Amino acid sequence: MSLNLNHFWMSILFALFSSVILGIVTKQTDRERIRYGAYCFGCFVVALFGIGWVMRLLHG
Amino acid sequence: MPATTTETVAAAPPLRSPWVTVLVAWLVPGAGHLLLGRRVRGAVIFATVLLCFAVGLLMRGPLFEVGGAGDVLSRLIEWGGHLGDMASGLLYFVAVWMGYAPPDRAGHTADYGSKLIVAAGLLNILAMVDAYEIATRQKD
Repeated sequence: MSLNLNHFWMSILFALFSSVILGIVTKQTDRERIRYGAYCFGCFVVALFGIGWVMRLLHG
Repeated sequence: MPATTTETVAAAPPLRSPWVTVLVAWLVPGAGHLLLGRRVRGAVIFATVLLCFAVGLLMRGPLFEVGGAGDVLSRLIEWGGHLGDMASGLLYFVAVWMGYAPPDRAGHTADYGSKLIVAAGLLNILAMVDAYEIATRQKD
């Protein structure tokens, strides 16, 4: 069994895993952890699309 | 005047031996939190690091090996990647023990897999630091 993920899904998975851990280790209450994890995930996704568009505009 | 919360926390004895907690947290991701009674957090950390590591393995990402010839930057990357791999604790050692050693082929899938395995270790380091701070009562 093997996985063949493209760059997009690999980035989404990385964002998900990182956001969960960042939420857990950063905040004090469960509510804050969930909110911060969701915030980090959103930032990762925005950065993913933003950097993707910048690269597309630079490379044509 | 009563002591502030920070002073109270700093004066309190540690919950458990911080270094034992860090060692346990390194060997089994999330086990440090479990040891400190943070069961849900420990379970979530374990599941997250395990999933990240497993997806990396399923993508046939090669593990970093040290000792190759190369310039300083190459060796720095090798050592950093190797330490990142090993930071997953028993997950790494079990994978090596079971003979996981895919060839370092060109291609994006194996490359992403290799980075996910390192990322699992780095996320576990964050969890180890968190467990240390809980054990020393710097945070709850």
